[in-house]
Amino acid sequence: MPAEFSGDTETGALSELLDVNLPADAEAIATAVDTISETLMRLEVPEQKRFEVALAVQEALANAVVHGCGNDPSKQVRCRLQSDAQGRIVIIVTDPGPGFRPEVLSDATRGKKLYADHGRGVYLIRQLMDEVHFQDRGNEIRMWKY
Amino acid sequence: MQVIQLRGALRMGPAVDSFRQTLEEALNSGDTRIVVNLSEVPMVDSSGIGLLVRFLALIKQQGGNIKLAQPSKFAVQTLRLVGVLKLFEIFENDDAAVESFA
Repeated sequence: MPAEFSGDTETGALSELLDVNLPADAEAIATAVDTISETLMRLEVPEQKRFEVALAVQEALANAVVHGCGNDPSKQVRCRLQSDAQGRIVIIVTDPGPGFRPEVLSDATRGKKLYADHGRGVYLIRQLMDEVHFQDRGNEIRMWKY
Repeated sequence: MQVIQLRGALRMGPAVDSFRQTLEEALNSGDTRIVVNLSEVPMVDSSGIGLLVRFLALIKQQGGNIKLAQPSKFAVQTLRLVGVLKLFEIFENDDAAVESFA
């Protein structure tokens, strides 16, 4: 196992791999996602897992920028990448917005929703990641990939 | 007929904005037979998917179609995950997709 995965198995402690604050704009998202992908590649995370994490991060950051920051680049989104001793990855994305209630999201894969131009982000995240939790008032998402 | 070769991640921002403009121009000019080559697209996010399906619906209303050529493994996986892969005809290369319009 790569040395960077050096969490404490007894306590379940997480190692911080990245902690970045980025302006709420699309280009900053792309840079952050690519940085995370490169970090996971250096850690020899398999391609399939890297892809799934990268797309989930893309979606979480896009939600934070659009819904949490109203596309206002003067606002900041925080993105943290951590891992534990088993190589499990956790991504935490926090925005300054009012949050939302994830339970009210409808199924984006049925009926007329299939042709909708939005509303798939959280659904995709839940499909791609192994555990997804919304913290506080819904302005922080914590996503696990085993 | 238009064959659009996309390169790089199709995600929120310049990539999706540019692709939207290309599709709008095609639609406005009455060109509703479109092939999108996704062989060099390693990621399609939900905004890219939304754009594809929205224009698929608009173009089909005008008797046309958007057909996909050589989609990358991860593009196929993503479209399947959100249940829209079945909406598209998929071809192994541009020529086959173009010929299918004949």
